Amino acid sequence: MNNVIETQGLKRRFGKTDAVDNLTLAVPEGSIYAFLGPNGAGKTTTIKMLMNILEPTAGVAKVLGVNSTALGPREFTQIGYVSENQQMPEWMTVSQFIDYCRPMYPNWDTAFCGKLLKQFDLPLDRKLKSLSRGMKMKTALLSSLAYRPRLLVLDEPFTGLDALVRDEFIRGVLELSEEGNWTVFISSHDIDEVERLADWVGILDGGRLHLAESAVALQARFRSIECVVGEAARLPASTPRSWLGPEMAGHCMRAVESSYQPEASEALIRSVFPDASQISASPMSLRDIFLALARTFRLND
Amino acid sequence: MLPFRMQFKTGMPAYGQVVYAVKKAIISGGMKPGDRFPSVRTLSQELRINPNTAHKVVAALVNEGLLEVKPGIGTLVADAQPSTRLQRGDLLNGEVERVVVEAKKLQLELADVVRAIEQHWNRLS
Repeated sequence: MNNVIETQGLKRRFGKTDAVDNLTLAVPEGSIYAFLGPNGAGKTTTIKMLMNILEPTAGVAKVLGVNSTALGPREFTQIGYVSENQQMPEWMTVSQFIDYCRPMYPNWDTAFCGKLLKQFDLPLDRKLKSLSRGMKMKTALLSSLAYRPRLLVLDEPFTGLDALVRDEFIRGVLELSEEGNWTVFISSHDIDEVERLADWVGILDGGRLHLAESAVALQARFRSIECVVGEAARLPASTPRSWLGPEMAGHCMRAVESSYQPEASEALIRSVFPDASQISASPMSLRDIFLALARTFRLND
Repeated sequence: MLPFRMQFKTGMPAYGQVVYAVKKAIISGGMKPGDRFPSVRTLSQELRINPNTAHKVVAALVNEGLLEVKPGIGTLVADAQPSTRLQRGDLLNGEVERVVVEAKKLQLELADVVRAIEQHWNRLS
């Protein structure tokens, strides 16, 4: 499979701090990639390098096969980019803004634009500066979707949006799925916002990538395990390395198994607690997997 | 609008939840054989789920014989139910196991579980 975004040893230093450090990332074509991490993890800095807004201190990033520092108008007709602090010509009306964007994209789809306008319920004759945050973000998304980009990059798009607008926004992003080859790279500090949307997850903290894996692989190897153990059982000083955050409460032992295999995992529990009974292993949602990992990495948020 | 009711619970994978909601709607008569089933795209957009997840849901239901793909028409709720009662019973294995595990944790007797099941059974019949 092709990677739509690929970075190698990407680094950006501000003063003495490495905001992004030795980042090697691959975003497969066709994925909805959730780029997660607490505020200040380096997500926006990464995205600004990918979009050729910031120059890397070291390393390379390739976007749609082109070196990020060489990205120009031609490539940007295939890339949609919406950020939390989107700069827009505030004095234009929604309709003027659309007329202003359209000529930049030979692939602009007028019918699709009309459909999105209706779906987003945007007031054509209002000036951007008078719009609510939600409406402004929907306008920005519309102007990035209407030319059906191959790659949509969203930097913390949901910050400050209410539940309804967030829902409309996600629905709008999914409109692109009519196309075969579309990829979405979406950064967020909150897994809840992207849980059911993402099929790839990357976790960034302190400028470093802690994990990058497909949701399918994560959900195959993670299980929430639970069992009942006998009298006076205690958690031993060292527990299996694949267990995250093992806990005992009363006679109940709970942990997150990070390399689950039906029989082996049960045998592992029995090797630690020979009298374990009522062993269960339940599949986990992406959100719970993320939370278990975040606790383990001690992500500070 | 989707022909089945879906309310996501946190803490459980979306895929299993959607498959379960569809099965429930078919078994309870909310969707009948020959009814049109939403496309992968509609499913993904209406439920705000990843298109690949939506695709997996439809593939699993087709595989289990609950949906059938009619070329040129679309995906329909299947006529032929899984051939034997035993096979249909297999569909419930996971759910039954979960109920039994929970019941044992709560130190309930088999009779308590049967009674609870009967109540729900009668409510839906």
